[in-house]
Amino acid sequence: MNAIARQRRRTAILALAGLVLLAALMLTGISMGRNPVAPDKALAALFLGTGDSGDVLLIGRFRTPRVLAAVIAGAGLAVAGTLLQRVARNPLASPDVVGITGGASLGATAAMAFGLNATLTPLAALAGGLIAALVLSLLAWKRNIDPLRLVLVGLAVQAGLTAAVNLFIVRFPAELASSALRWTTGSLYGRNWTEVIIGAGAIAVATGAAFALHRRLAVLDLGDDAAGALGVRPGPARLQLLAAAVVLASLAVALTGPVGFVALAVPHLVRRVAGPPTAGTLGLSALAGAVLLLAADLVAQHVLPIDGLPVGVVTSTLGAPLLLALLARQHRSSR
Amino acid sequence: MTNAITAAGLRLAYGRTAIVDGLDLDLPGGAVTAIVGPNACGKSTLLRGLARLIAPEAGTVAVDGEDVHRMSARALARRLGLLPQQPTAPDGISVEALVRLGRYPHQKALRPWSKADQDAVESALERTGTAALRDRAVDTLSGGQRQRAWIALALAQDTPLLLLDEPTTFLDLRHQIDVLDLVADLNDGGRTVVMVLHDLGQAARYADHLVVMHEGAPAAAGPPAEVLTAELVEAVFGVACRVVPDPETGTPLVVPRASARHRAAS
Ligand SMILES: Nc1ncnc2c1ncn2[C@@H]1O[C@H](COP(=O)(O)OP(=O)(O)O)[C@@H](O)[C@H]1O
Ligand SMILES: [Mg+2]
Repeated sequence: MNAIARQRRRTAILALAGLVLLAALMLTGISMGRNPVAPDKALAALFLGTGDSGDVLLIGRFRTPRVLAAVIAGAGLAVAGTLLQRVARNPLASPDVVGITGGASLGATAAMAFGLNATLTPLAALAGGLIAALVLSLLAWKRNIDPLRLVLVGLAVQAGLTAAVNLFIVRFPAELASSALRWTTGSLYGRNWTEVIIGAGAIAVATGAAFALHRRLAVLDLGDDAAGALGVRPGPARLQLLAAAVVLASLAVALTGPVGFVALAVPHLVRRVAGPPTAGTLGLSALAGAVLLLAADLVAQHVLPIDGLPVGVVTSTLGAPLLLALLARQHRSSR
Repeated sequence: MTNAITAAGLRLAYGRTAIVDGLDLDLPGGAVTAIVGPNACGKSTLLRGLARLIAPEAGTVAVDGEDVHRMSARALARRLGLLPQQPTAPDGISVEALVRLGRYPHQKALRPWSKADQDAVESALERTGTAALRDRAVDTLSGGQRQRAWIALALAQDTPLLLLDEPTTFLDLRHQIDVLDLVADLNDGGRTVVMVLHDLGQAARYADHLVVMHEGAPAAAGPPAEVLTAELVEAVFGVACRVVPDPETGTPLVVPRASARHRAAS
């Protein structure tokens, strides 16, 4: 069996394992809680609406949307991170670096500042992320999008936006400041079906676009000259891929707030276990992002003794050592 | 269709500095053209301009009279392939995966990898002697092996016109000759090949048409036997030399004059 077939088989096995793991985590997510329900009863309550009416309400109204929000936001963040790192040709690129999370946070915080209804917060965040990305592309555009320029301008945009968010939070009354702070840490608390359904639909479309663009991305990975000679115009191709990444990240962040590290770490993780990027490993990234964010939320809710811990705190505290361990291993194996 | 390339009034610039200005060039179809010239005289820039990788500030490039800027990027990529001077492969990608990317301009959305695609890849691997390396990661190969893998990618693209920027750089003598013989082979099969070379003797041996570039413009162009004169080489490269017939082929061979030191030693 040659290298390509081997990688394909490996990707398929990993995908299967990931799906099983994800299903198990989702089942755990709807069963566990202050009021635990046996997994079979939880499934019956969700799909058949049978059993204790309190359970049906708890699982249908609260736990399931939260689990699904984690799955779709995790997948969206991971795919966005993978696209960004490849388009920017920079392993440290992520929505945090290029200003998308800064824009989303500013949007959400501003919505709170102007006293908009809390149901509008995700929309404000989405708008903020997209506007920030637009500003970024305008500033980084110089006949073409230069990958390095993109990251440098992105860092500047993110720094400016974060400063603006902090200014809001400092000037806020204590109660508002705390909910703004909670939002900007990234949390899955209180997601509802409307948000989840719209988010899932939009993220599915953007992920589909990312897959449709994958051949172009693989050619673009060869560098601008080789890509151009193969019929891929680097400027437009980068812009399309960037648009897919930005939309995915903004949607995910609108749903959960700027959860850290998923977009940054998942591409590296998948690369470690599944090898050089292919369309298949892009799918694995989506799966790994979903698993990671959901697992982090379960840890935040049920494992750690602190009540109401936002998931973003867990992904960052677990993600940082994970990334360090990965890099240490990579360093050792490359010697 | 002979796949001749014509450039007229071509001006290529990076930012404000024009590297090539007002260049007129006719590269015969179905022939091997070698481009030679000192470092930084604009050979790579010219190839990039011919392959439409940089938009000209003025002038046109045409393949068989058809303006390349009027073609779609994909249509051009099915017509003309290019091996860049210093291509970079993504980390960890295998030789076969790299060569498969050469099929991009032939693929259609939603159509899976076809038998024709696989055949083109196999033949490209075979012809460049990289079949045994197919599972190796490109970044673990030697410079010469890597160069051949990239040539295989350009072959998999299966274009009637092939531009090669320094295909023999990094290769030992054996592999240089293999690549040049492969070029001759491709040309026998009807392809137009344009390549940048540094060895004037090899250029004269393998090319039907020789372009000597000097500071962004062709100093001379034509059959190697007519073009390669001692005066021209001295004017362009600043090296005093004699031009003698190649004892093997009779094509011109450029022999630099010995410096005083070497003469004294002999
Ligand atoms: N991307 C670039 N941006 C700016 N200047 C460049 C770029 N590429 C090449 N040059 C300049 O253009 C000139 C010609 O370069 P090049 O075409 O690579 O020469 P050659 O291939 O003949 O060695 C050189 O002076 C080089 O510094
Ligand atoms: Mg060059």
